[in-house]
Amino acid sequence: MDATTAMYVSQAIHGIAYGMILFLIASGLNIIFGMMGVLNLAHASFFMLSGYFCYQVLKLTGNFWLALLIAPLVTAIFGIVVERVFLRRMHAFGHLGELMLTVGISLVILAGVKFFWGTESLPIPVPEALQGLIKIFGLEYPIYRLFVIGLSLVVLLLMVLVLYKTRLGMIVRAAVSDRDMVNALGINIPLVFMVVFGIGCWLAGIAGVAIAPILTVFPGLADQVGMDAFIVVVTGGIGSLGGAFIVAIIFGFLSSFGIQFVSQLAPVLMVGFMALVLIIRPHGLFGVEE
Amino acid sequence: MKDKITKISLWLMVAMFLLAYPKLFGMYYVNLFVTFMVFAVFSLSFNMLLGFTGLLSFGHAIFFGISGYGTALALRHIEGIPLFPAIGLGVLAAVILAVVLCPVVVRVTGTAFAMVHLAFGQLMYVLALKLRNITGGEDGIGNFPIPNVSLFGLFSFPLKNNPVNFYYFALVILGICTWLMWFFTKTPFGQIQVGIRDNTKRIDYLGFKVPESKSVIYVTSAFFAGVAGSIYGLFHNLVSADGSLNVLVSFTAITATLIGGIGSFFGPIWGTAIFQILEELTIRFTEQVELVTGIIMIIVIMYAPRGFTGFLATLKLKWQLSRAKRRG
Repeated sequence: MDATTAMYVSQAIHGIAYGMILFLIASGLNIIFGMMGVLNLAHASFFMLSGYFCYQVLKLTGNFWLALLIAPLVTAIFGIVVERVFLRRMHAFGHLGELMLTVGISLVILAGVKFFWGTESLPIPVPEALQGLIKIFGLEYPIYRLFVIGLSLVVLLLMVLVLYKTRLGMIVRAAVSDRDMVNALGINIPLVFMVVFGIGCWLAGIAGVAIAPILTVFPGLADQVGMDAFIVVVTGGIGSLGGAFIVAIIFGFLSSFGIQFVSQLAPVLMVGFMALVLIIRPHGLFGVEE
Repeated sequence: MKDKITKISLWLMVAMFLLAYPKLFGMYYVNLFVTFMVFAVFSLSFNMLLGFTGLLSFGHAIFFGISGYGTALALRHIEGIPLFPAIGLGVLAAVILAVVLCPVVVRVTGTAFAMVHLAFGQLMYVLALKLRNITGGEDGIGNFPIPNVSLFGLFSFPLKNNPVNFYYFALVILGICTWLMWFFTKTPFGQIQVGIRDNTKRIDYLGFKVPESKSVIYVTSAFFAGVAGSIYGLFHNLVSADGSLNVLVSFTAITATLIGGIGSFFGPIWGTAIFQILEELTIRFTEQVELVTGIIMIIVIMYAPRGFTGFLATLKLKWQLSRAKRRG
């Protein structure tokens, strides 16, 4: 294989890895939106927070795998607390209020992160087992990116299994389509909300740990990656998991090939794509009219 | 009749106070008041969308910022351009941007509208940082020449390094803007605006063109945000991505509108004043602007969703009730 093809393939892998991470964040956002009807703008902050937790665990123990286990869990617990203390009481005041409340929460998290960890970017080393390159079909791939793709696929599979094969998944799907009816059937909807919110934050947490060694951890992380994830959700259609998946992968490619070919315009590509989709389909690629 | 006299005398008193303000208070407070006026007009233009049309934008700063950049670039690169055409060029940039965005934004509502603006806002911010040869990157455009204010050669006074003159200049321009916006909400078209917020479908059935009306409102709102941004750039003699395009600038308008009260015309003015006083007080203890903004947002939404004007309305209602009771 010649050098050009190799470049294309490796850029494609970067794109898929980034797309998968975007999808992990976007899927959490989508599930929460489907259940509660609120687009949680603090979601990207949870994602960033998990990166910081990962840094902290690594600093204390030096074990990446432990960080991968603990940081998303702590993030999920944090998310559940936020849901119970703030969001739960807010359902009465309509969506705009909720949206702005989550903005407020994300600002407070940003300030907290700057206060505890400072403003400079914190490097997170790639774990030893995943360093270096691997040769497949005569091409060299960075192992860590492949690991990110694999990890995301496993999490994705797990999520699909939970959503379609378990009782909880059944309740969640029912609650997405008719919350009040499920509540009337005697199922504790607030509890289900809490669990779903926790799972959404856990997904964001996984993404946060996975991306930390690639991008390092810094206070602008939530803005930078989170913004892409929000664009994914809006473009794919708010509440649509399949749409989010497809758009996330497209955006991954747009991002990696965009940086390769038109580095100045890379951020414009995604927003341009979103604008194009919304002109043709105002509710997103796979969205349904409210 | 009596009401009218009290009203007029009240307005006269306000006008006197505003005229005497630079004599009464020091330079520091004059500058503070100019900032207040700029953000009050910016928040009013934001509330045109949120309060009167029900469209929540997370990126209103794009109009504020692009107009500032437009004015600064005009003053820097066009030799001998008078002040008002420079401001006009900046505002024109904001209006053109709004016209370009219209086809996308008038078709989405609610959450999607907010998110699209967040994305556009972030995009503009990144572009302002990246297109270094035009915008000066992180440094922004600073120390551009500011010509004297003159109108058809009738009068002329300098603005540069003269805060008191700038105060009067901003007072006139932004005062006119406020009056125009107030007037706009009172026109029949302003009523359609409220109708779109409350029941879009019905407005549609009544035969009004909803997307077109929304576009007009959107462009008008961008116009006033542009004026505010242009004045802000002149005031600091500096436009930078962090100062005028940052998402926090948009959030300032949101927070001010929230504090003041969504849906009331004068709410954003109250809100800006309260927000600025709070910021002024807290900044002495902490540098964390995000923390203050965030906490204020959370508290207001959770405990006072109707804001300060809502609080005033409740007080007024209570007072009227007690008066009615006393009369029997």
